[in-house]
Amino acid sequence: MRTASVMALTLLISGGLSAGDWPQFRGPNATGVSDEKGLPSEWSKDKGIKWRTELPARGVSCPVVAGGKVYLTCSSGQRDDRLHVLAFDVATGKQLWHRQLQATGGTACHPKSCMAANTPVADESGVYVLFATADLAAFDADGTLRWYRSLVGDYPTITNQVGMAASPILVKDKLIVPMDNAGESFLAAVDTKYGKNVWKVERKREINWVTPITRDVGGTTEVLFAGSDGLIAYDAADGAKQWEFKDGRGAIPTGALDGDSLYFPMAGVTKFGLGESGVKGKAEWAAKQLQTGYSSPLVYRGKVFTTSAQGLIACADAKTGKVLYSERAKGAFSASPVAADGKVYCLNETGACTVLNADSNEYDVIAVNDLKEGTLGTPAIAGGLLIIRTDKALYGIGK
Amino acid sequence: MSLRALIVVVLGVAIVATPAPADDELDRALAAIRSVKKEGRGNDDAGPAWKTVVSKGGTALMPTLEAFDDTNRIAANWLRTAVDAIAETEAAAGRKLPADKLEAFALNSKYAPSARRKAYELLIAQDAGAKARLLPRFLNDKSADLRRDAIAHQLEMLEANGKKPAKADLEKLFALTRDQDQIELLAKKLVAAGGKANVTEHFGFVNHASLIGPFDAPDGKGFETSHPPEKGVEVGGAHKGKDGAEVTWKPVATTDKLGSFDLTKLLDKHKNAVAYALAVVVAPKQLPCEIRVTSPNSIKVFLNGSLAHGHDEYHHGAPFDAIVGRGVLKSGENVVVLKVCQNDQKEEWAQAWEFQMRICDETGGPLPLEQKITTDGNTKTIKLGFNPNPTEKKQEKK
Repeated sequence: MRTASVMALTLLISGGLSAGDWPQFRGPNATGVSDEKGLPSEWSKDKGIKWRTELPARGVSCPVVAGGKVYLTCSSGQRDDRLHVLAFDVATGKQLWHRQLQATGGTACHPKSCMAANTPVADESGVYVLFATADLAAFDADGTLRWYRSLVGDYPTITNQVGMAASPILVKDKLIVPMDNAGESFLAAVDTKYGKNVWKVERKREINWVTPITRDVGGTTEVLFAGSDGLIAYDAADGAKQWEFKDGRGAIPTGALDGDSLYFPMAGVTKFGLGESGVKGKAEWAAKQLQTGYSSPLVYRGKVFTTSAQGLIACADAKTGKVLYSERAKGAFSASPVAADGKVYCLNETGACTVLNADSNEYDVIAVNDLKEGTLGTPAIAGGLLIIRTDKALYGIGK
Repeated sequence: MSLRALIVVVLGVAIVATPAPADDELDRALAAIRSVKKEGRGNDDAGPAWKTVVSKGGTALMPTLEAFDDTNRIAANWLRTAVDAIAETEAAAGRKLPADKLEAFALNSKYAPSARRKAYELLIAQDAGAKARLLPRFLNDKSADLRRDAIAHQLEMLEANGKKPAKADLEKLFALTRDQDQIELLAKKLVAAGGKANVTEHFGFVNHASLIGPFDAPDGKGFETSHPPEKGVEVGGAHKGKDGAEVTWKPVATTDKLGSFDLTKLLDKHKNAVAYALAVVVAPKQLPCEIRVTSPNSIKVFLNGSLAHGHDEYHHGAPFDAIVGRGVLKSGENVVVLKVCQNDQKEEWAQAWEFQMRICDETGGPLPLEQKITTDGNTKTIKLGFNPNPTEKKQEKK
């Protein structure tokens, strides 16, 4: 199965999505890949920007797009306890609505992060937001509050003073909520209509920033969630454990699924084949030079791309694991690379985005475009635009 | 208070006090929202109720703000988003929010601090002049954000046009300040103006204690493992500690401005270990209090023999004041015991075993407390946080 069919499957799984949406962390099923065309190669603060909208506060979460709206979270205040949810028109960048919540959980975190760190997930009906304070809410597309929960109110020992950032995902009418932390840890499915638990499975009490991914096997949708206990697959319907892979431990980056192949961020990147009952045998290959750190690997057009906290951009052949290049770019990377239209976008922490020719076996830089603003969140691709959130503003880049 | 301010308050109180026409539907909707419970219980009714409240438009604004209760933070967030939606709808329709009502509400301390803050923000969004008018009224407010802005505003006023603030003005402002950065800033300015600022005392840090340990905490389970100091305290007693060694209580003190005790220096470096620090705090009367702890280790706090609160997390930083428990001090002597646990992590960044503990009011401000301490075998009572020679770096003495 190729990437395109994985995306089609994902759209089916998530429901309520349109082609070209970028509904969650790293887009469709966290692949980082969009089928959008006509995307920009070059821009600057003064050139190639379709719209720019000031944000009320900082955030390191990523923008998501569904039903013609961009959704975004921010956090503010001396205690970082003001939580903002915003919706914008994808065509114009106009702010459509803005809602605020007061944090009910702890607001301590690493200075690089903030309480708006988890990326929302959206569909045509609206958006689901989770903050690092474990405040969880669903808003309809027009800003109506559908439901709200304080997970720290529900489970008071939840804590991660480094700051949480794992993002929720949607599987049909269930919102899958990852909550690995130093206190009561769990993976839960809550119903999208009222926000009540459908199932909740216990997890090891360890902090973890990995976002779950999904796959469909024989009519069962599995939620694949890596943590300190390894990679575990759960049945999305009832949370039953389907299989586990003890060596597949995760902490920060999220693996990339391409058909029956899992590109896992361990020992650089390691490729595993997946069968019906889980990981098949030994790793197909491991490439240490594919360094990640905070960002997740990208699989696109037969290649694996990584960006690292040390400022490296690396690429390998997806079939063989042969490293094609590993080059030092400007600055460190927190955002994950994304791809579409034959281009790979690697956005560093200070607003410089290296655009690569995805089809070249060499380090073929089309352009380096610098917004000169802090950028830790992964860009979205939708509506013919590359959508970047900086510390200060939301940009729609393209025509 | 100026005449204008007095008139605004009197009119405002009168306006707020004037009963609005009954709206049973709105009342029922607000009641449904206030009835939400844990794990989404009540969401089925709260969702439609939220729509009802917002559909009422501007007429629902003040009742929704009044419905806030900061002890029910789940419901408060439902209400907060309804206020946002109402304000947005009114703005889109070109209608002004009721400035007089918002001002009176923001100034009325009977309402929830977070709702008053919300009202203040709505007000200044359409009347920037309200900021200077209202902020001086919030200098001693229960809302941390209102107080913070008021302190900043007052300092700006004192220093306007290059003026040097008077020592007495800075002393007043320092006494009202609660946020660490503002406390440190004002302390510096106060000292520069020739005054004195005892930061340790202002925070109410426990800077003297009796210390016992290490006790054993197998498999890093110090948080769960109970030792004799949790079951009743007799300072002076001896107990079986880690690896069978006898451990006894001993007096310790810190001159650190922020009350930090480094247990790796006081008790040596240990893994899978637990220590207890005990303080006898004297209250003039029964007083509600907060016991705030800063530590990279798992901790528990016992107040007069009962568990007040705990936090089980190791080496994820030590954010200031992050661990907050609430209790009631009785009149006279109170025994506060802090349990500080160390796990078995090997990483260099996971070796800290330390704590800061302070006892304060709900705003983080000082309470009229004393501490009974023992020095060189003599017992005496000092003001909590008394620290005549504060140091910037941690300097504990055994």
